[in-house]
Amino acid sequence: MKTKFIVATGILLLPGGAAFGHRLDEYLQATIISVEKDHVHADMRLVPGVAVSSIVLASIDTNRDGVISEAEQRTYAELVLRDLSITVDGQSTKPTLISWTFPAPEEMKEGLGVIDIEFKVELMRGGPERTIAIENHHQSAISAYLVNCLIPRDPNIRVLSQSRNETQSLYRLDYAQADGDVSALP
Amino acid sequence: MNARWKKRVQCIGILTLMSAPFTAGAASTATAQIVSAANAFLSTLDVKQRQSALFEFDDETQRARWSNLPASMVPRAGVSLKELNDAQRSAALALVSSALSRRGFEKVQEIMEGDEILKIAGGNNPIFGKDLYYISILGTPSEKTPWMLQFGGHHLALNITIAGERGLLTPSLIGAQPALYTSNGKTIRPLGQESDKALALLTALDVSQRKQTILSFRLADLVLGPGQDGKTIQPEGLKASAMNERQRAMLLDLISEWTSMIHEAAAVARLAELKADIDETWFAWSGPATAAQGQNITAYYRIQGPHLVIEYAPQRLGGDPSMHVHTMYRDPTNDYGRGPGTK
Repeated sequence: MKTKFIVATGILLLPGGAAFGHRLDEYLQATIISVEKDHVHADMRLVPGVAVSSIVLASIDTNRDGVISEAEQRTYAELVLRDLSITVDGQSTKPTLISWTFPAPEEMKEGLGVIDIEFKVELMRGGPERTIAIENHHQSAISAYLVNCLIPRDPNIRVLSQSRNETQSLYRLDYAQADGDVSALP
Repeated sequence: MNARWKKRVQCIGILTLMSAPFTAGAASTATAQIVSAANAFLSTLDVKQRQSALFEFDDETQRARWSNLPASMVPRAGVSLKELNDAQRSAALALVSSALSRRGFEKVQEIMEGDEILKIAGGNNPIFGKDLYYISILGTPSEKTPWMLQFGGHHLALNITIAGERGLLTPSLIGAQPALYTSNGKTIRPLGQESDKALALLTALDVSQRKQTILSFRLADLVLGPGQDGKTIQPEGLKASAMNERQRAMLLDLISEWTSMIHEAAAVARLAELKADIDETWFAWSGPATAAQGQNITAYYRIQGPHLVIEYAPQRLGGDPSMHVHTMYRDPTNDYGRGPGTK
């Protein structure tokens, strides 16, 4: 029984036997946010592809010793957050780092490593309709972005719209917030 | 398909025929037949293999131990087909087959065959191949108490919960690379219908509907892939309540490509549930709105309703996104049978 590819160019083999099924030439930065009454919570999942992992690793393992120390992890997580421009109702605000986990450098070199960064943004009291905008400048030359919002758990909060630029480096969320009277939500 | 693989598939056929008179009497329902196949499989294993294959029903680590990646990159637990002799392997595949529809099992075989092609194309690359698929059972196979069957490897993660007469296939990752190949002179597209039906639906929309459906941004990957259990994102695109009857029927038919992978009785129940939700179901698209004749689309799409998330995400890795596809099938209210009625 004979089997063949119709499009042979679909095959890509990489040195060392690592091929297929994992990221190659992009740094995927996937963010999922959830809006609560007094803060926005965000989970960032960062996955450097094989071809760009050396660029990402260089900015993490800054002393080039082949180990990602606790201090280097924190410094990099803070760097990622510094590369975010966040506004709430047009006012610039700073995110607070909550937690982070890093894979082994070897996993990152194979395009398998996932960096998780969790942060939050405190929300001051605002009007019934609010806007959160996140612009991600981190490693923009090599990155692919995904940004999504969870359906709010709080029935007093309703998402009105989400908008993004073509690359999703810029994300804007418009939502309505009731003060106990859910029937007032649009 | 090589001779050994062909022999195994034939074995399954023979096994199914052999078990038919038995199942007709002693195992009259779909669940009874699956339980019978599970016990038959377990009876072929030695003590060590059984220990490897069996987990507690609520083992959250094992539940979430699946991926689109090859098992050499993201290790699976359970027993691999590689570790099984011919009789054990036939019993394992007969079990998987018993829980799926004919087309569902065919898709699984086509996905595994694709991985074998990757192995051969890579000079017998040991990280690929149809031997590297793992089977495990969570809980005790039962006609009454919930239990799970897991089967998967590269581009495949089936999480099948059996709860009485209910059968659930969520969450499952169903992918393909190559997503188009020829076998024995026949063109195989494991996820071809998922591509063609989606494009047909998009084409059936009017200008205003398409404007709402097609998102203005790129989606580089699955949003709710491996590791993203328990999340429900805000839906986007066109709501089916804004579609006409024919378009809604096309959407439901597209959804059935995932729902009908499980055995027929469970598939009918699942599709009825989703049909009831259809007005609250959304369809979103990102990427080219055309495809070459006979080829897969290169666009991402998502179908999302109160009890459903389906994502279709072509992958750039490999050069041609139409040749490498990941899809995700979830029920945000009942993944792994966590919802009411299946605990």
